[in-house]
Amino acid sequence: MTVTIAQERLASAKAPPAERMRRAARRWRYAGSAAAAVLSAVLIVWTLAPIYNIVMVAVESHGDVFTDAIWPPKPTLQGFWIVFTENYWYLEHFWHQFGNSVYLGTAVTLLTLVIGSLASFSIGRMRIRHGWLVSNAALLTYVIPASFLAIPFYRIMQSYGLNNNLWSVIAALVTFATPYAIFIFQQYGRSIPLELDEAARIDGATPVQIYYKIYLPLMAPALVAVGTYALLLSWNEFLYQFLLLSSKRSMTVPVALAQFLNSDEAPWNLMMATAIVYAIPPAAVYYMFRRKMTGGLTMGGVKG
Amino acid sequence: MTTASVIDIGGPAIGRQTLWRYWRGNLKGSEYLWALAFVVPYIGVFLTFVVYPVVYGLWLGSKPSLYTDLFSDPIYQSTIVNTILFVGIGVNLKMFFALMLSGFFMRPGWWMKALLMLFVLPWAVPLLPTFISIHWMLNGEWGLINNVIYHLFHIDGPAWLNTRWFALGSVIVAHIWKWMPFWTIILLAGRMAIPQELNDAAKVDGATGLRSFLHITFPLLANLYLICTLLSTIFTLGDFTEVFFITGGGPANSTHVLATLGIRDAFDLANPRLGVAAVMSALPVMIPLVIILMRKLRTTEVEL
Amino acid sequence: MAILTRRSVVRGSLGLVASGVLARPFIANAAAMTAEVWYAQGFVPEEDAAFKKMAADYEKASGNKLDYSLIPYAALRQKAISAITSGVVPDMIEVADFQLAPLQAWDDRLVDLSDLVAPAKAQFFSTALPSTYLYNNVTKKRGYYVVPTKVAAIPFHIWKSLVEKGGGKIADLPKTWDAFMDFFKPVQKGLRAAGMRNVYGMGYQLTANGVDPIGTFNAWMIAYGGQGLVTPDGKLHSDDPHVKDAVLKTIINLSTAYKDGYVPPGCINWNDADDNNAFHSKLMVMDFDGTISTEVALFHDKEQYDDILTRGLPLSNEGKELPAQVAVFGPVIPKGAKNVAVAKEFAKFMIQPTVLNEYLKAGLGRWMLPIPEIAKSDPFWLKEDPHRTAYGELTLIKPTLPFYEAYNPAMAEVGAENVFMSAVIEVMKDGAKPEDAAAKAFKRAETIFAKYPIAQS
Repeated sequence: MTVTIAQERLASAKAPPAERMRRAARRWRYAGSAAAAVLSAVLIVWTLAPIYNIVMVAVESHGDVFTDAIWPPKPTLQGFWIVFTENYWYLEHFWHQFGNSVYLGTAVTLLTLVIGSLASFSIGRMRIRHGWLVSNAALLTYVIPASFLAIPFYRIMQSYGLNNNLWSVIAALVTFATPYAIFIFQQYGRSIPLELDEAARIDGATPVQIYYKIYLPLMAPALVAVGTYALLLSWNEFLYQFLLLSSKRSMTVPVALAQFLNSDEAPWNLMMATAIVYAIPPAAVYYMFRRKMTGGLTMGGVKG
Repeated sequence: MTTASVIDIGGPAIGRQTLWRYWRGNLKGSEYLWALAFVVPYIGVFLTFVVYPVVYGLWLGSKPSLYTDLFSDPIYQSTIVNTILFVGIGVNLKMFFALMLSGFFMRPGWWMKALLMLFVLPWAVPLLPTFISIHWMLNGEWGLINNVIYHLFHIDGPAWLNTRWFALGSVIVAHIWKWMPFWTIILLAGRMAIPQELNDAAKVDGATGLRSFLHITFPLLANLYLICTLLSTIFTLGDFTEVFFITGGGPANSTHVLATLGIRDAFDLANPRLGVAAVMSALPVMIPLVIILMRKLRTTEVEL
Repeated sequence: MAILTRRSVVRGSLGLVASGVLARPFIANAAAMTAEVWYAQGFVPEEDAAFKKMAADYEKASGNKLDYSLIPYAALRQKAISAITSGVVPDMIEVADFQLAPLQAWDDRLVDLSDLVAPAKAQFFSTALPSTYLYNNVTKKRGYYVVPTKVAAIPFHIWKSLVEKGGGKIADLPKTWDAFMDFFKPVQKGLRAAGMRNVYGMGYQLTANGVDPIGTFNAWMIAYGGQGLVTPDGKLHSDDPHVKDAVLKTIINLSTAYKDGYVPPGCINWNDADDNNAFHSKLMVMDFDGTISTEVALFHDKEQYDDILTRGLPLSNEGKELPAQVAVFGPVIPKGAKNVAVAKEFAKFMIQPTVLNEYLKAGLGRWMLPIPEIAKSDPFWLKEDPHRTAYGELTLIKPTLPFYEAYNPAMAEVGAENVFMSAVIEVMKDGAKPEDAAAKAFKRAETIFAKYPIAQS
């Protein structure tokens, strides 16, 4: 055996440089794939661990939640059924509140994308004079963290008459998401050459057409990224939804979830089941738009 | 420098400067009106929803006696330390891993796409139930993690939330878990914006892997990375949710960060002004961050 | 989540209708106005249903309308603070925590309800009014700012089956304080020997989060003779030797139990719900936690429900009866409310004995009512259910004491920072000496009290 190995080694040592390089490259690639596989496994465990806990609590029956089981002893989908049929008093208006959340999320996303991209286009592409003032001013929004602007917001919403109205939350969230959107769009916009706009302008395009036909398509990954950010901001957020909404009919799901913290003893399986149902739409939205994200820009295709 | 000409996007450097002079402040007539119209929606949002709350918020935190109260709070010093650790380590580790992972996710293959889908889940699950779930996972007696450790190794795992440093570490890990996917997506989109021909040209020149990353990808991403880091720092400074739900500031108030201290002062001590003062005591750090961000956004072209 | 029997609902609604009929003469028919009311969402749906019926009944009797919202507890507190800070307030807010009312009364942000509460003094139990007699730092006087409607106290909850399994007998439960607590130590040993890996004798809430540790520390301190920590005039007696001794003993007793391994180590980071979770999963034999919600949550599981023993406080080590600290909650009316008259009328309607009784009964008796006469005459409270009987005796029959926050709002800050329980934790975890920890806690308490000087009249 050793003889053949030695012979092989001798043979490979005598191989021409190109062959050696190819073999090295192959070994490098295998190592790379192995490393990638390990990293993938690590990522899967890392990502899924807390989610596994959520799922486990959701399918366990009440008494099993705080035991030392690592696998649900008597898994049941009953929790989900109760959520779907609104069969628990905290979940009485679940679907209506879910609808409110969807409405909220959609409105915040669309408004953020539209207002943010328009402003970024005007400042970054059309280079309106003193445009930098607007983007700098936008930064002032972040000087005080959002959670601590809740009380001032509560006050102005009262004076604008938006009491207990979903639009008060929409306005607040758009206010916090748009500056971020403007920054990211500006940053992305830099990799799109201004010549494109100029060329279109020479061809007689109006600003609206440039915005619509050139800017938006090229910004697609940024739009998806920022849009998902805005959607998830409104989906995850709960402080403003607590404060600005009061009635069961206007509340959103995060407020409904907070009810479970009300009592010392709540059906945690229902809370987690609700959380899972509530997590599906954003994941689905991301799934639907992911191709826009990974489609990418190929400058070669756009230029010329 | 050769690198400069390879990365100089959008044609020869000289042509760029001409264009720059042409565009600056040179909008005429209807174009100017369009530019104005595009930026007006954001200005409207800003005037209606930013000016008053931020000014009111600043006023709330402006009484000097608040700061003497704040500094004499026995947990204030440890809170500052915790905030520095939480924000410093949390943000930087998160962004670093996001950068590395964004490269990882550029690999081709259907299972990469599937993995990315999975990877986005932490971002999609709602905050409140997820952090409560993590709080339960980390419990020394019945938490999932210690249950798994016991099942595998028959020893009792450490009580994760019972000591300050473990608890703080847990909170940092939870923060990275929740937000890393988001920044990975942003940086991934940023990588997508890099023209493929640059990478191809580099490959022809013999630069692959690490060198390609260091000389092509990273300089282009650098600006985006910096902006993301700064924004993330600002967001994280105001983020009370991880500490609030996972450790509650415990054990014995040793893991409070400025945001949770502010929440405690605002709502438990029924003193919102003290709460705002708590976060405003971070202004000496916030203001330089904001100024750097302003500078970054103002500089116009791709920086190399 | 507990079973709502038709009978209880019918009884409840009939009662409310009856009280509505009786109440009519009490309410003058003013011009119909609408009052905005924020009430805490109940712990069980029956509580919400009971509130809705009471509100509907008031509306019928008075002709006014109540625009009420039943808001989850956490959100309610944040909303209340936001509203009062920003000046845009509803007409009535229910207060269910220790801090809001004393601190807002101090700043003159609440309407004085003495004209409402004082005349009804006779019907309430002795601690009800002192609990709501809060100090206003602007007018420099005390007044009644909260309408007493709900009472809560802290009983012991014990798993009978676990005691038996650990080799103990319930009948042998000692009568005096330290012996009572020590009873659970051999029980734990017995249970561990029987193979239960994760079980602890005492479920003390030795955490600095939430309000439960406040009650725990106070109860031990009172048991050791430190009742005079704060006196009704609002003064902190940190140099009273009895108080100092009691605080020291409390710190030593609680921290030693933890260090000796009789308390679940994770308790140090429990939030308000974790102790219930732990108790229900039989992680500990005994729990010292407010109200009987622990039992009521298991109402549907008869076996477990009957397995829990609810009982009040043992005697002090010297054999004396100990007063239990009780919390009295109810609505407040913030200043600047637009319809104060209607809100006051609704409050007055609410505290009529029959109305209040039916309201709390329909809520499954989770909250005790502050009217001892009805508690004694209506079998629901002290006769029907052993848990409720024990709880009722603890809150209304045996001697009681208000929480110190009513004497001086400084105590609300001390409680929010959990100054004293932090001292216990320092000894437990950081190895501090009890005397040093106690001294540090007293010093911090004194600093806080210095911010709240109360003028003595």
